[in-house]
Amino acid sequence: MELFLRKLFNKLKEYIVLAVLLLISLILLPQNKNTEVKKIKSYAFATFAILTNASSSIGDIFKSSDELEEQRKRNAELMLKLNRVREYALENKKLKELLGYKEEVSSKLFPSTIVAKNFSNIQGNYIINAGISDSVYKSMPVITNDGLVGIVTDTEENFSLVRTLHNTSFRISGTIQRSNIDGIIFWDGQNLVMHNIPTTADIDKGDRVVTSVLSSILPPSIPVGLVVKKESNISGILSNVIIRPFVDVLTVKNIFVLQEVKSKQIDSLELNLLKD
Amino acid sequence: MLQHIIKSGIIVLILIALQLTLIPLVSIKGIIPDLVVIYVVIYAMRNGQLKGTFFGFVVGFLFDLFSGGLLGSAMFAKTLAGFVAGYFHKDDEEDIFSNSLLFASIIFISSLIDSFFYAFLGSAEVEINILSLIFTNGIFPAAFTSLIGLAYSLLVRKK
Repeated sequence: MELFLRKLFNKLKEYIVLAVLLLISLILLPQNKNTEVKKIKSYAFATFAILTNASSSIGDIFKSSDELEEQRKRNAELMLKLNRVREYALENKKLKELLGYKEEVSSKLFPSTIVAKNFSNIQGNYIINAGISDSVYKSMPVITNDGLVGIVTDTEENFSLVRTLHNTSFRISGTIQRSNIDGIIFWDGQNLVMHNIPTTADIDKGDRVVTSVLSSILPPSIPVGLVVKKESNISGILSNVIIRPFVDVLTVKNIFVLQEVKSKQIDSLELNLLKD
Repeated sequence: MLQHIIKSGIIVLILIALQLTLIPLVSIKGIIPDLVVIYVVIYAMRNGQLKGTFFGFVVGFLFDLFSGGLLGSAMFAKTLAGFVAGYFHKDDEEDIFSNSLLFASIIFISSLIDSFFYAFLGSAEVEINILSLIFTNGIFPAAFTSLIGLAYSLLVRKK
């Protein structure tokens, strides 16, 4: 009997090993929400980020001078826009004072660089060289001058993990700026989608989509993208709105972390949208 | 033996670092080759199915940890890739690269399985379009990876 089993094992050992290893992988999948697993993952990516930080700087050598020229041009354009915005802000402040509105809290931007990219259409992640030591914490939004890039989902001393728009676990509350229609935005593996919007809702191609006031994970009015398509579902009552993000998540290199200070109570209520 | 493990470990760490930093620079429409899976295939072809399967498992585990991805997804995908590549085990190392087209085809098959399952397991929370899963997350990256494999094979043969 023992000999038979041994022979059988020798004959099927590749398949048995395969089945065991695949089973271990499948058992580990739901463990990603486990605090201990999260700790191990945080420690691992932060340690490895030291290596990727070095090799990503090699990549900067390949940056073309055209790209720098383009950045300079964009800076100049932004400077001009900023001057106009300053004028509007002053005017706005005066009007608010007249109406007795409360002063809004301004957010701080912390510049950072991407040191590693998980270039996946499903599990898009960045590792950035900013962490707890720079006052970067979980759930802070990550942006560029064009708009939203993602959300910080994990932090270590000097590095953080950012869940990008190209991640199927990414969910935010968004709004169509022109008609103030709110919805949940997520990545379906191919497109950014605002789903289950009533078909009769006033949404046109080209409408701007920004973060919603309903979310306290993200401050309102961060540009997300433009509406490119509206697709009705089978019943015809609800539609999915396809959004083209302002930021090309795949090519971005330098980002800013928006250091918003929020209420812990609101945080705990709203972070359920940030499913881990 | 220990020297062999250390050497393979260092190569894997370097390849994962390159995969997460420099390889995204050569993307075409968001599709990139997977250097790590090429090494898993070569390892499995050199050392056999059993070792290849286990190697894929370890490499997948490290990739999941270092990339911040879903722990278990690359493990599953790369274990399968190593297992499939192990079917084409060659005793003589030179035989692996003797037929470049065959080598590229093995990489294509293994990479297709790897990309598909990595995407499939990572997309459990949303209803993903099956065509997108097959083409955007399966065939296209696998084709790109096999092209890199073909170039590598030709380079090795030239040497």
